[in-house]
Amino acid sequence: MSGPPAPGRRETHAEWLALLRLGGIRLAGGAFVLWAVATLTFIAMRQMPGDPALAILGGISPTPQAIAEVTREYGLDQPLFVQYGRYLSDLLQGHLGISYAQRLPVSQIIAEQSGATLQLVAASLFTTWVLVLLWTLTTTGRGRWIAGIGATVETIAAAVPPFWLAIVLLATFAFGLRLFPAAGSDGVRTLVLPALALGLPLAGFVGQVTREALVVTLEQPFILSARMRGASDWSVRWRHALRHSLLPGVSLSGWAIGALIGGTVVIEVIFSRKGLGRQLYQAVQSQDAPLVIGITLVIATSYVIANILVDLLYHIIDPRLRKDDQ
Amino acid sequence: MTRRSGPAAGALAATSLLLALSGCGAGSDSASGGRTAASGTPVSGGTLVYATDREPTCLDPHSQGDMPQVYIAQQFLDSLVSMDEKGNIGPWLAQRWEVSRDGLTYTFHLRRDVRFTDGVRFDAAAVKANLDHMVDPKTQSSTAGSYLAQYLRTDVIDSHTAKVHLATPYAAFLEVLAQGFLGMESPRALARSRDENCQSPVGSGPFRVVRWDRQSQVVLERNPDYAWAPPTARHTGPAYLDRVVWKFIPDPSVRFASLQAGDVDVIDALPPESHGPARQNPDITLLMKDRPGNPTKGDFNVTRAPFDDVRVREAFVRAANVAGALKSVLFGEYTRAGGPLSHVTPFYNAQFEHAQDYDPQRAARLLDEAGWTGRDSEGYRTRNARRLTVKVPMSDQLSNAERTLWEQVQASEKKVGIAVDLDPMGASGILECCSTAWDYDIRIGYWNTNTPDVLRFVFGSEFIDRPGTSYHTNGTGFRDARFDRVIHQALETQDPEARRALYLDAQRIVSQEYLQLTTIPQSTRLAIYKTTHGVRIEPSLSITYLYDAWVRK
Repeated sequence: MSGPPAPGRRETHAEWLALLRLGGIRLAGGAFVLWAVATLTFIAMRQMPGDPALAILGGISPTPQAIAEVTREYGLDQPLFVQYGRYLSDLLQGHLGISYAQRLPVSQIIAEQSGATLQLVAASLFTTWVLVLLWTLTTTGRGRWIAGIGATVETIAAAVPPFWLAIVLLATFAFGLRLFPAAGSDGVRTLVLPALALGLPLAGFVGQVTREALVVTLEQPFILSARMRGASDWSVRWRHALRHSLLPGVSLSGWAIGALIGGTVVIEVIFSRKGLGRQLYQAVQSQDAPLVIGITLVIATSYVIANILVDLLYHIIDPRLRKDDQ
Repeated sequence: MTRRSGPAAGALAATSLLLALSGCGAGSDSASGGRTAASGTPVSGGTLVYATDREPTCLDPHSQGDMPQVYIAQQFLDSLVSMDEKGNIGPWLAQRWEVSRDGLTYTFHLRRDVRFTDGVRFDAAAVKANLDHMVDPKTQSSTAGSYLAQYLRTDVIDSHTAKVHLATPYAAFLEVLAQGFLGMESPRALARSRDENCQSPVGSGPFRVVRWDRQSQVVLERNPDYAWAPPTARHTGPAYLDRVVWKFIPDPSVRFASLQAGDVDVIDALPPESHGPARQNPDITLLMKDRPGNPTKGDFNVTRAPFDDVRVREAFVRAANVAGALKSVLFGEYTRAGGPLSHVTPFYNAQFEHAQDYDPQRAARLLDEAGWTGRDSEGYRTRNARRLTVKVPMSDQLSNAERTLWEQVQASEKKVGIAVDLDPMGASGILECCSTAWDYDIRIGYWNTNTPDVLRFVFGSEFIDRPGTSYHTNGTGFRDARFDRVIHQALETQDPEARRALYLDAQRIVSQEYLQLTTIPQSTRLAIYKTTHGVRIEPSLSITYLYDAWVRK
C-alpha cells in the first residue's frame, strides 16, 4: 500500500493536532457549562421557599424527631456553602446523590428512566428523517405548484408546537379512532404517536434546510450530466443529489438531539410515558433537588457532547474549515 | 390519612353514598359500602390492569404516609383489626383483644396460622416490630406515626399475645389500627434499610409486590397461601386474580380513554366531566364511595382579620353558593359536605349538614353587624377604608374540579361584597405560606381518616404550635378550652354512647364557630370495564380492594 506524498502527510499531522487542540478547548468549555448548570440548579433549588426537610418528608404533621432525623441525614443543618462544597465534590466523584422523594440513588433513577427517553428520541429522529426523505425529496424542483405546496407544508410543520400536536394526535388516533394506546411506554405501538408529535415539527425544520440544499444541488452541472447519461429522475435524486444535500440537515440533527431530549419533558407527561423528561417534571414539583440537578446535568451533558461532536464533524467533513485552522 | 393541600389532585372528589352504576343519577343509600360492581360466578386467574393518577414515592405506608401509598398497600398488607361498613371494629390478624379499665393497655390475641409472603411467621414479636417501626424517627412516618403519638411500647407476653402500652387513653386506637397505613409487615423485611423496604415491602395480604417500574407500574402477584381474609371480605382463601398491574396514568382524560379502549380494566379518580360519558357507555360501570374524615375544605385563619370575627366567617360560608357550583361545574355528581365530618365517619351526626347552606341575605346582615358597611368603587365592602379581602393560596396541584369550585365561590362572594383573592402557587409556596406560616385567610385541604378524632388534629389547640414542629395541622388557629376538653374526654372512654355524645358536642362547637367552608367529601371514584367484576371499596378509608375481584377476558 503506497502512502500519500510526504507534504500531504505533514499536513495531515498538523491538521489532527489542530483538531485535538480544538477538541480540548471545546471540552474545557463544555466542562465550564456543566459546572455552571450544576451551580445554578443547586442555587435555584435552595432558593425555593420552605424547609427542604418538609419536602423530603412529604406527608403531613411530621414529628419533631422525624424532622431532626431528616435534617441530620441530608446535612441540611450545615451552612449553604458547606452543602455546596460537599455537593460539588460528590459530583466530581460521580455521586449524584439520593433522591429526596424516591430515596434511590439519582444515578440509578436516571439509568432506569433514560432507556425509555432514548427510545423516544431515536424514534423521533427516525420519524423526522423518514418524513424529510419522503416529502422533501419528492416535492423539491417539481414545478412551482408542487414545490410551493411542499415548502408550505414544511413551514407549517415547523411552526406546530409539539405539545399541541401531541394533544391533537392523542384526541384523534387514541381517543377517537383508538388505533394506538393513549398511555404507556411498553411496545412499539406506544411509541408511534409520541414520536410523531416530536418528529413532525422537527421534520419541518430539517426539511426546509434540506430543500434549500437540494434546490442548489439539482442545478449543478453534474446533475445535468447524470441526466444526460440516462439516469432516471428517481435515481438522480437518490444517488446523486441527495448525498450532496444532506449535510445541513445532518448537522441540524446534532442540535436536534438536544432539543428532542428537552421536548420529551412535555411529550412524556402528555402520553404518560416513563422517562427522564417526566421524571424531571415530577422532581421539580416535589422539590426533589438532587434529582432535578441530576437530570438537568444529563440533559446539559447531552447538549454539550452533541455540540462538540457536530463541531468536530464539521472540521473533518469540510476541508475548507481545516485550512482556516492552520 | 391525610394530605394538607390537595395534592391528591385527581383524587379530589365526592359523591353521596356509593353511586352504583348505570344511569341512576342519584346516590343510592344502600349501606353496603363494599358493593361489588357486577354479578356472576367468580373465576380464578387472569390479570387485572388498574390505572390510577398518582405514583407513590414509597410502597411502605408506614414511611411518609400519603394516600397513593395506602391505595396499593391495601392490596398486600393485612391489618391487626378490621372495620365494617358501620364503623364497628372486628377481628383480622388479631382474633380478639382486651382493653384495660384505664384505657392504657391493649392486649391482642393473635391468629396462629398467618405467614408473611417471605415465609416469616406473624406473631407478637411482629406486632411489636411493626408498631416500633411506625414510631421510629428513622421511618420518617408522618401518618402512621402521628396516629401513634400515645404509643409507649409493646410487651411480647407469649408468641401470640402482645400487650401494647399507651401513655394516655386513646379510644381511637383500634380505629386507626384498621387503616392500611398501619398494616402489618414482615419484621424481617422491616429490618432492612428504609429504602429497600420502600421498594419492596412484604406483607401477609392476598397479593405480594413483585416489581416496581418507576413512572410506569407496580406488579402484584397472588399470594397462594392466603387464608386469613378479614370478616368484611366476600370470600375466603387466595385471591381470584393471578396478577394485578397497577399503572400510573396522571392525566384523567387519558386514563378514561384507556378504559374505554379496554387497555385497562379499572380506573380511579374519575373526573367530573367523564361521569356522563361513563354512564352512557354500556361497557363501563361506576363504583363510588365517599371517604371518612374532615371533608375537602377551606380552613379559616382565625388568628387575624377578617376571620377573627365569627360573624364574618359565617357570612363567608353563607355567601358561598357551593350547592350551585356543584350543580353547574361539577355536573351534579358530587354531594355537599356541610359539617366538619364526612358522613361516612364513625359518630358522624347529620344535624350539622345544613349549617352552611347558601343564604346571601343572612351573609349581608352579618357583615353589616360586623361593621363591614362601607363600599368601595368596585362594590366591595370596606371597614375603616379597608377592603374586605380574603387571601386563598391555590396549590397548582389542585384538581381542575376543585379549582373551578373555588372560582365559583369567588364569584358568589363578590355578590355580597367580599373580595376573594385566589393566589396560585407551587408546592414550595404552599409549604411556606400555609404549612409553616399563617400567611393566608383560607387554607385548602382535607384529611382522610376513619375516626372522629380527626377533629383533634384539625381543631385542637395542641396542633397549632407543637414544640419542634413547623407544620400546624390545625389550620384555623382555633384555641378553645371547652373544645380541647371535649375532644380529649372522647379518647378516655371506650363506651360508644359516651363517645357519640362527646363527638356530637365537638361537631357542634366546630360547626357553630364556622371554622371552615366544607365543600365535598373526599371520595374514591372507580370506573370499571366489562371484563372485571367483584371490585370493592373497603370500609376503613373507602379505598379500592381487589381481593374479591376477578376478570373474564
